[in-house]
Amino acid sequence: MARAPFRRNRSNGFDVVLDAGEAAVLTRLCEELTTLFSTADDGSPVVGGELGEPGPDPVLDRLFPRAYLDPTEEEAEADWQRFAHGDLVDGRRRALAVVEGTLAAAEARRGRFELTLDENQAQAWLSVLNDARLALGTRLEVTEDMDMSGLDPDDPDTAPFAVYWWLGLMEERLIDVLSG
Amino acid sequence: MGAPLETPTIVEPDVDETVDVARPWVVIVWNDPVNLMSYVVYVFQKLFGYGKEKATQLMLDVHHKGKAAVSFGNREQAEADVSRLHAHGLWATMQRD
Repeated sequence: MARAPFRRNRSNGFDVVLDAGEAAVLTRLCEELTTLFSTADDGSPVVGGELGEPGPDPVLDRLFPRAYLDPTEEEAEADWQRFAHGDLVDGRRRALAVVEGTLAAAEARRGRFELTLDENQAQAWLSVLNDARLALGTRLEVTEDMDMSGLDPDDPDTAPFAVYWWLGLMEERLIDVLSG
Repeated sequence: MGAPLETPTIVEPDVDETVDVARPWVVIVWNDPVNLMSYVVYVFQKLFGYGKEKATQLMLDVHHKGKAAVSFGNREQAEADVSRLHAHGLWATMQRD
């Protein structure tokens, strides 16, 4: 990622440039999040992909945590889940659809993918980058002091960590331009 | 001098102590190893309208102390804030203050 992937343009939108490999990784992560969210509303086990595995899923627990820790508030928790959970899943799906749509419409030029986002689309990108990072980080059981800066993205053992590290870089750059 | 003051009658207010109004709720954001510090600051500013300085201080509390109280209110307000924080990927819970 030699050049800044996100830049604010003169029409108050954001220009995005990704290389082909980055676009492919992002597309794959979107597919895996789609699979993950498809299991979020019915409680069925997540299967397959680096973000999912069968059984009780710590990734879903992390993306959709409880509101109440107090066990005596179980009824309030159930009420809140009934009220809020569907909206939380739908919001994540909408952001995902925006990222997939803008990625699919990107212009491929000399091996790079170029696209432009408005403010709302940029917010959707931030949401998806963060969700992907949360999902992957939870799956990889990352810790705060892990140093991933020197990882080889072509080594199958470390590739998911390299993707996680790359997502963090992308997210930092997007926050910079959104705040600027 | 006027007439002697009447002894005031003290009326005990009729308060049901289980009513939530008397016990506001607090929304707590917990530390996690994934969310970026810059992202947490950004979300606090976006959701609560906090200035950069306050948002940064709250983020540092989360990071160093493990948690921070980010908003207060009645049950409905706290649930709404928890939902908005969850929508942004922050690990938030609510409890009686």
